[in-house]
Amino acid sequence: MQVTVFCVILLTVLSHYTLGDELTNRAKNRGKGSMWWGVAKAGEPNNLSPLSPGTFYSGSSVHTTLRKKQKRIARENPGLLDAISKGANIAIQECQHQFRNEWWNCTTKQFLRGKNLFGKIVDRGCRETAFIYAITSAAVTHAIARACSDGAIETCNCESHYKNRPQVIGNGNSVGAVRDFEWGGCSDNIGFGFAVSREFVDTGERGKSLREKMNLHNNEAGRWHVQSQMKKECKCHGMSGSCTVKTCWMRLPPFRVIGDLLKDRFDGASHITSSNSGIHNSNKAHSNRLPKHSKSNSLMTNSIHAKRENRRKHKYGFQLKPLNPEHKPPGSKDLVYYEMSPGFCEKNPKLGIPGTYGRQCNETSIGVDGCAIMCCGRGSIPQEVIVKGRCNCTFHWCCEVKCDICKTKKIIHTCA
Amino acid sequence: MPGTILENLSGKKLSVLVGILLTFQLACFLVGLIAPSPANFQNVGATFCVDRNPDNKDENRWFTRQCKESLHDLGNTTGLSAKNIVFVFEMPLFRVDFSRWQQKLVGMVHFEQIYQEGRKLTPTVQLSIDARLAYADKTLDGARTPWTRYAHAQENRHMDCDLDAIRDHKDGYPYDCSMVPLFELGNLYHDYYLLNVRLPQSQNSELGRVHDVQLNVIFMNGGFTKVCVSMKTVFFPLVLGVLLWFWRRVFILSRTPALLEYMLLSLGVTLAVLNFPLEYFSLYFDMPYMLILSDVRQGVFYAMLLSFWLVFAGEHMLIQDNGEKNCLKMYWKHLSTIAVGCMSLLIFDLCERGVQLVNPFYSIWVTPTGTHLALSFVILAGLSACMYFLFLCYMVWCVFKNISIKRSVLPSMSQARRLHYEGIIYRFNFLMAVTLICAAVTVVSFILSQVAEGQNKWDEELDFEVSSVLYTGVYGMWNVYICGMLMLYAPSHKQWPSDPTGQDGEELEFSRLPTESVPSEISSLTSFATKASIE
Repeated sequence: MQVTVFCVILLTVLSHYTLGDELTNRAKNRGKGSMWWGVAKAGEPNNLSPLSPGTFYSGSSVHTTLRKKQKRIARENPGLLDAISKGANIAIQECQHQFRNEWWNCTTKQFLRGKNLFGKIVDRGCRETAFIYAITSAAVTHAIARACSDGAIETCNCESHYKNRPQVIGNGNSVGAVRDFEWGGCSDNIGFGFAVSREFVDTGERGKSLREKMNLHNNEAGRWHVQSQMKKECKCHGMSGSCTVKTCWMRLPPFRVIGDLLKDRFDGASHITSSNSGIHNSNKAHSNRLPKHSKSNSLMTNSIHAKRENRRKHKYGFQLKPLNPEHKPPGSKDLVYYEMSPGFCEKNPKLGIPGTYGRQCNETSIGVDGCAIMCCGRGSIPQEVIVKGRCNCTFHWCCEVKCDICKTKKIIHTCA
Repeated sequence: MPGTILENLSGKKLSVLVGILLTFQLACFLVGLIAPSPANFQNVGATFCVDRNPDNKDENRWFTRQCKESLHDLGNTTGLSAKNIVFVFEMPLFRVDFSRWQQKLVGMVHFEQIYQEGRKLTPTVQLSIDARLAYADKTLDGARTPWTRYAHAQENRHMDCDLDAIRDHKDGYPYDCSMVPLFELGNLYHDYYLLNVRLPQSQNSELGRVHDVQLNVIFMNGGFTKVCVSMKTVFFPLVLGVLLWFWRRVFILSRTPALLEYMLLSLGVTLAVLNFPLEYFSLYFDMPYMLILSDVRQGVFYAMLLSFWLVFAGEHMLIQDNGEKNCLKMYWKHLSTIAVGCMSLLIFDLCERGVQLVNPFYSIWVTPTGTHLALSFVILAGLSACMYFLFLCYMVWCVFKNISIKRSVLPSMSQARRLHYEGIIYRFNFLMAVTLICAAVTVVSFILSQVAEGQNKWDEELDFEVSSVLYTGVYGMWNVYICGMLMLYAPSHKQWPSDPTGQDGEELEFSRLPTESVPSEISSLTSFATKASIE
């Protein structure tokens, strides 16, 4: 009897203790690593076919990685989760492409939980983390906009446009949507991508601690890069094809362009500091951040999220302070960090860094990808291999690449 | 002596009339506020379908977005060749269907290409596109009718590529090429359209590795069409009424109508034709020729307006008429510039839009001969437009010179006549000014709408479309302008007020000269000017 009572007490104490530990852990980890990254690995790629949007949501892994609000958004916008998953995968690919020649090569872990996707590096507020946040949010924006033009998401802004016009009040929702399309068409996809990306990606970031501010800023920076790289194209279709009537639209850039730009920003990222960073310089900062005539802005004002606009302004209306007061404060497209990057040369199990052991390097390069730097002075092991490569290729636009196969001797260097 | 209403109307009545016209004008601008932008677009991404049986020539085999076998991206195409791949575009997206109010459909394709190492790049890429268009309609229970063939064509196009982005030849980098105009439909009779595009391999050797294909479709906004058609519905009977009134007024005169009256009448008729809300018919009938028809309607109206200005200026110049009755023959030199310009534009239009009736994928600009032909027509039209404006400016300059010469004679006239003639000159100048203002407003609004386009919103807070406000405003302005002209230049029934002070020599001076046939002049200003020039 005594034993059992003792056991129960012990159990409760233990459970309390572990629970409390978990709570403090969660609080500590707030803003460190976005769980939703997990959707990148949720389900096999063949399950992500746009033809079966319903099947994906039911995956159990999704339930564990998404927050309540994210689940709601996904439920309200069928097909959205596929797009976000696609976006996350594009982000990983692009990140690995951009960092293929760097010490840190954007390694992703075998999937456990969302925030661990990129390893423990995201626990640090360093440049690499900034890049991960920016590129994932940019990729999600991009992928949602693209999915809209594929018709994979049914809710892409087709009904919220011209919602307030008295002429177009429909009886039901669907009727209203059709009438609105007839009256004024649909608004553009990037606005939807931008807005949903904000809602979805920034869910967990409340913007209170410096780390959360950093995440918010970098997420926004990623989105602004997508937005600003949109290319305007126009077509005249007035009388006899003249420009009496001209219609313009924005074209989504290839994601590689955005990856390149973000890499540039990574190289020139701003080191910020927490001192006095709590100033809510709302007005000035906001006008600074939202360029005039931005599509997303117009969307924000007449979309379903209008009532949250005030809170949103508050959420994004902060100005970060640079560590060096002589530097300019970071702009809306700059990446920001507040911790120095750890060394990536050596293994660091605490941060999940594998080190540069076994990485290929370039003997002749004097850059980071050169063996001298890449191997951190450990030296490299040359290895002679015969590479079977394609050469003298003739290309056709899609598929048939007629090539000769050439064998070349090549010396590959790998870091010791 | 009969004059026009303009001269005989009291200042008060004139201001009331002008006030009414200005109210109409303001209403036209306000109507534009509720209209959405004139046109809208939709980006449609391609679905890459696999055609396992490419040699099947069946014209009614359609690939939809739900095709049996589709590719996620074009990176993994092992075992496939170009003829297996079909780009499928369904319009519109998002479970909506086209409305006939949306009037027309213009489609452009954009091929996103990726550079592959070792590939030679050309700044201009020749394309050969096999395009098929089908349509379907919504049935009463919300389902779709099966896809039916609309057009099938093998067309050549070219893209201009910007190779700067990959100057350092990085593998796997995208490069930018211009979009390709693909088709143009004169009306949107059906609810859904389906486009299947194939790129035969043999003719597309210059095309790089295609990564993504996007179609942009442009259609008129139904709301904008509705606003425009409502405006036309209101203006059509109004113009018709004014026209009938004007013609009755001319008809009950004992004289034969003057040239300017004929010109005004035909101008009014072309305006009435332009105002005729033909768009209602396109809601019930399949009218692919709507585009040509509206082009021709507008063209005829502009031609008539330009001719009217010429004749108007000419009829007020009156230097050496020798009493001859004015007729159009006198203006053949000037009018021929308009005729040549309009005819070349008409031929150009028929070449492009006329052929598009049969083949919506046709474009005159893709073949070198076609481009030369089209360009020469456009240049010819431009040249004749320049000639016309030179003529017009010269004539207007002459009129003003004449008037200023006559003005110097005015002080020697009796008080009443002087005031009278000064008033006429003032009103003539006023109308010239109105014409100039209208022309200037048109030009400025055209430039503004060009600037505003793409910016889309003038200001985030103002929820209206600048281009549609300008469009309805300018459209209304020309209606108001011509109605005003018809009213003010209609012959007046009032006789000249007897001039008690003008009993001396001036009376004789301003009485009609026997050489003039009485009815040929419609305005006393013109007779005044004629006499003065004969003196």
